[in-house]
Formats: sequence, structure tokens, C-alpha cells
Amino acid sequence: MIVAERKTIPELVEILNGHKKILVLGCGTCVTVCLAGGEREVSIISSALRIASNIRKLDFEIEELTIERQCDNVFIEQATEAIERNDVVLSLGCGAGVQAIAERFLEKPVYAGLNTEFIGVLEERGIWTEKCAACGACVLHQYGGICPITRCAKHMLNGPCGGSREDRCEVRPDRPCAWQLIYQRLKGIGQLDRLKKIAPPKNWETSLDGGCRVIIREDHRI
Amino acid sequence: MTHESQLAKKIDAGDFIVTAEFLPRASTDISEIEAIAASFKDKVTAVNVADNPHGPVLSSLAGSLALLKAGVEPVYQMVTRDRNRIAIQSDLLGAAALGIRNVLCLSGHHQTLTKSSQSANVYDIDSVQLIAAVKQMRDKGVLLDGTKIKGDFPVLIGAVAGPDMKPMELNIMRLAKKVEAGAGFIQTQAVFDIETFENWLEQARSRELTKKTAILPGVMPLESAEKAEALREKYMDLFIPDSIISRLKEAGDAAAQQKEGLAICIEIIKKIKAMEGVKGIHILSGGRENMVPEIIAKSEL
Ligand code: SF4
Ligand code: SF4
Repeated sequence: MIVAERKTIPELVEILNGHKKILVLGCGTCVTVCLAGGEREVSIISSALRIASNIRKLDFEIEELTIERQCDNVFIEQATEAIERNDVVLSLGCGAGVQAIAERFLEKPVYAGLNTEFIGVLEERGIWTEKCAACGACVLHQYGGICPITRCAKHMLNGPCGGSREDRCEVRPDRPCAWQLIYQRLKGIGQLDRLKKIAPPKNWETSLDGGCRVIIREDHRI
Repeated sequence: MTHESQLAKKIDAGDFIVTAEFLPRASTDISEIEAIAASFKDKVTAVNVADNPHGPVLSSLAGSLALLKAGVEPVYQMVTRDRNRIAIQSDLLGAAALGIRNVLCLSGHHQTLTKSSQSANVYDIDSVQLIAAVKQMRDKGVLLDGTKIKGDFPVLIGAVAGPDMKPMELNIMRLAKKVEAGAGFIQTQAVFDIETFENWLEQARSRELTKKTAILPGVMPLESAEKAEALREKYMDLFIPDSIISRLKEAGDAAAQQKEGLAICIEIIKKIKAMEGVKGIHILSGGRENMVPEIIAKSEL
């Protein structure tokens, strides 16, 4: 899923300062699961903004709404009336959700209330970790299911860097070295031989480096 | 201007090799490099020029060329952290055209460990892919995209290994891959733990890697217990055992600790230089280039 974090209330106040009627719009999908932008957070953030508005005399009038998915037209339609009766939208969707709303309401300022962080998983209660950088040409099958692009800070495809430790990555003491995990996993499944072959430079054209991507499925366009 | 790598020649001849590391500064004063070149001249086979290890400084390409001009053979270090394959190959062509004959290929410390921790991450290719790219340019005369190179590209390729990196199986696998990709010499991270180094070397020997590449173990003079602790805390590729830190501490004041650091370095050189499979010594000055001549003299290199 997409994992995001809330911007701080002072940041949000700064962004919204000068506006009156504000729709705080949550999303019921990824950001609900990662506890950043669902119905609950819409309510918490709205309350905090109301308090800030009272203290600083900002005159905010806040309406709350959460739709199933902000990145999907069908659901966005359900928010149309609420969006139209407010001056601005503070979207608690991921970066894709914010843009989907903004592109459909051209005269309406739409602001991001979250910092969208990564594609990842809930590791354990309260801890989310990044797993995939959406490179567009998945190589997981070669690396025992551990992504060297995302989880190795240097995208090493041929083995660890010199700073690899059994219990940590050179870059961050709180993260394991992806290459130690790849090694253990390949050893465990009897595929260590995969590491002996030199992996050629990756084609980054399929990733964001090749420009903003689009998928066209002709079979779905009929 | 020399047109053959003296380092390569010595490796082929089986001569004992001494290389040393020079860290360029954030400086445009070429006389500093000339002074360092003069102090190294005729004492070492070649001098490594580090590629922005701790943040932006004078480029390793310019530093290498300055050494060359001053009559010292450079080992041009190139990390894959800052340049994509376009910039890398372009710099390599320039280096070869202007007489650089040794290239050390490495991934480099991650940018977050440098003073420019906010900079973007490149890592388009990794160290093994860089080695293979340089080999392809040299042996096949073509760039990664297939473009034919006009003229020779006669460079000796080097790579880095860390004897202390665990597990050993993964460590040796990585070393073997670098050698297979084309590394003609291997400079190691600084050795402090003789036993671990011996074990690593034995593993390399048993796979005949010491026959296929020239192993030049790294040594580093430590300045003080405090600095040594800070170094090992920050750089995960550096393993300094507690026993070494204690020895430095027990030596006494700053001057005594510095002397002890030098003594430890010389001791290590004497212990490892005659080991089977060791073809030379690489002195990691860590920016204290003035220590190098004394280390060479006192360890009878
Ligand atoms: S290889 Fe690419 S697509 Fe596959 S997990 Fe890694 S970043 Fe994601
Ligand atoms: S320590 Fe491991 S994960 Fe971290 S950069 Fe090095 S190889 Fe990649």
C-alpha cells in the first residue's frame, strides 16, 4: 500500500491561512490503513484546525468528509457537492489522490495534508517500512524476493557495499542491510548461485527516471 | 607523460607495491597538490586520489591530472554515487586521453554520510558494473551503449574489498565477482585485525583469487583513540577492534597517542607484508598525507 504521514498542524495552518470554508477530505483506502488520512484522521485534524482557528482568530469553517478512494472518478463524484460549497480542499489522500481531485476541480485550490512516503507494509504495530520503488521492471525473482533497488540505499545489484553489516545498513543504524537479507534468503531457498552471475546495469527507462509513466491497456479501451 | 601504467608493470613483474591515498581538499590551490606529489615522489608506485569521500572537494580527475603533471602516477578513484553512466564514461574517456592509466572503481560512502547529506542519490550503476564497464571499454573498445571508442583505452582496473565484512561467504563471493568483472588489483579497507585478515586472505588464496588479482591490503595510521572511535562509529566499512582503541588510550596524551597510532600501523605492515598472496601495501592516509613517508621508512617498505 501507499504509506503517508500527516503534516503537522502548524504546517497545515500555514497552508490554509487566508481561506475560510475548508473541506478536509479523507480517503478510505491506503491512507486509512496506514492511519494517516482516513475518517479518524479527518476528524482529529479538523478538531485541531478548529482549535487553532479559535486561538489565532483565523475564521476557519471546516467541513469533514471521507470518500472510499480519492484516486478514482466514481468516488470523487460523491464529493462534488461538498467540494463545490467550500473554498478550498485539504486532501488527506496520497499524492495521487490530491492530484486527482485538483485536476477535476480546476477553480478550486486543493492542498496536500499528508506527506506521501512510500509503497510499503505494516511491519508491526506502528511501524511501516518501504518495500518497492515501482521501478517498472521487477527483478525480485533474482534476489529471493528482497528488493535491492528499494531496500539497498545504493541500489547495488551485484552484492553488498563495503559498509554492509550483519545487523545493519551503512546508511541507517535502524535498518537491516538488504544484501544480508538477500544472501540469507537465497541461501535458504538454495539459490545462492544467482549471486555469482554479474547483473548488468539496470534499464532505468522503465522507472520514473524515464519520465512520468502511463499505462495504456488497449483491451480495456474498447 | 607516461603512457603505461607503472602499477600494472610492477604487478606483472611481481615487484612489491606501495600505494598511498591522497584526499583532495576544497581548494583551488594547486601548490598543495604539488607539495604532496613531491613528498610522495619515488617513495610509492602510485597515489590514489579519493573521489569526494566526505563531501565536495577538488575532483579526483583534476587531482589525478595534477599528480601526473607533477610526475607521480595516480590511481583515479571513481565512485558510482554521484555520476550516472553518461558522466562516468565521459570522465573515463577524458582521463584516459590525458594519460591516466589506473582507475579504482567503488560505490563510495552513501551521500548521507557526507557533508552534503541532502543531495540526490545517483547510483545508476554499482561497483561491479563499473569494473565491467571499464573492462569493456578497454578490451572491446566500446562504451556501454555500443559506441566504438577511437583510440586506446589502456587502463588498469582496481577495486576495493573489506576483509572484515561478514559473513565470509558473502564477502568472498563479492571479491570473486569483482575479480571476474576485471579488477586487476584490490586495495582493501584498513586492516587492524590480523587474524581476520589472514583468514580472509586464506579464503581468497584457496579460490586462486590471489593469482588473478594483486591484493594490496590497506593500513591506516590512527591519530587518537577518540578519533578512531568516531571513525568506526560513522563508517561501517571500517573495523577497529577495541584492543586497538585501548592501546591508543593507554598511550597517554595526544602526542603519545599519535605516536602509538603510527607504531600500530607499522606493526601491522610488518606482520602482513610477507603473507602469501599479498602483493603490496596501500597506505590509507585519511588526509594525513604527511605521515606517509615516515610510515614507509619505518616499516622498511
Ligand atoms: S524490483 Fe522494482 S518493481 Fe520490483 S520490488 Fe523492486 S522497485 Fe518494486
Ligand atoms: S549496507 Fe547493504 S543495504 Fe546499505 S547501502 Fe550497503 S549494501 Fe546497500
